[in-house]
Amino acid sequence: MSGYRFDRLKILVVDDNQHMRKLVITILQAFGTTQILEAEDGERAWTVMRDANPDVVLLDWQMPGMTGVEFARMVRTSPKTPNPFVPIIMLTGHTHIDHVRQARDAGVNEFLAKPVSVKAILTRLVSVIEHPRPFVRTATYFGPCRRRRGAAEYKGQERRSTATVTALDD
Amino acid sequence: MPKEQSNEVFMPPNLLKAKVGGTVAGLDTAAIKRAAEAVENLKTEFSDWLTDDIARLGTAYDVFLAARDGASCSDLFRASHDLKGQATTFEFPMVARVASSLCKLMDSLGSHDKVPLQLVEAHIDAIRVIHREKIKDISNLTALTLVEELETRVTKALAHMTPKD
Repeated sequence: MSGYRFDRLKILVVDDNQHMRKLVITILQAFGTTQILEAEDGERAWTVMRDANPDVVLLDWQMPGMTGVEFARMVRTSPKTPNPFVPIIMLTGHTHIDHVRQARDAGVNEFLAKPVSVKAILTRLVSVIEHPRPFVRTATYFGPCRRRRGAAEYKGQERRSTATVTALDD
Repeated sequence: MPKEQSNEVFMPPNLLKAKVGGTVAGLDTAAIKRAAEAVENLKTEFSDWLTDDIARLGTAYDVFLAARDGASCSDLFRASHDLKGQATTFEFPMVARVASSLCKLMDSLGSHDKVPLQLVEAHIDAIRVIHREKIKDISNLTALTLVEELETRVTKALAHMTPKD
């Protein structure tokens, strides 16, 4: 069995801290990724998104101007988004559960609390490759399904009585 | 607005899987080892990176002292937040812990005019001392005493403040 061809992926790294960008990019390059784009803030990241349409976005939360959460929401819901389904992995120093919920509600796929490590980044990449979540469109949300452990294990009130499940692929 | 919204659930094509091919079982362990080695090679730069980030924190505080506005307060929070997230990676976990205490303080403030300057300065001084003394051990008694004192003072300061919301 062969491993992943990370060289085929185009990955956008968004972080206002140049050292963190360098660390993350070094790890991605060691995995074999060659198409790496970087942006130091949300505005620049939006331009890169529209110009280069990356396959995965690694996104910081705290940045000057647009925050990572605002950027994620724009990617998911803006009529001008080049790809509302692009997997977004949020790397952040935030660790409180409220922050995880905020990121989830903005449409983030994976949450990685700093400090970053090789294993943590790889695990999140494998997750978005191997276990993509279905997308949900409601009146107030568009993004990956927020029922982290899957609908089958969901114990709350069912609000998807009129849901349509459409398999576009797989 | 209809009383019952129609919620749609669908599975987009898995383009990533199609692109990278292979399997998780066949994940190239050499790539993981290579990445670990690349990070190891970067470690010679970590102390300089931390020096930069600590200097940025000091500058952000100086700017805040001069401006005393929301924008400079946000910059100060971001600088401390970067240290909280990165200092452990840069092998200074006690710097990360002090920065975390500073973030907790800043994040709980209702407004920039409530920033307790002395307590912020004490955090910045502690970060500088830990870095200057090259304290990387989380059980270092000096650093532990310092950080525990700061955390206690933050808890007390926040107890006397009105919640921001």
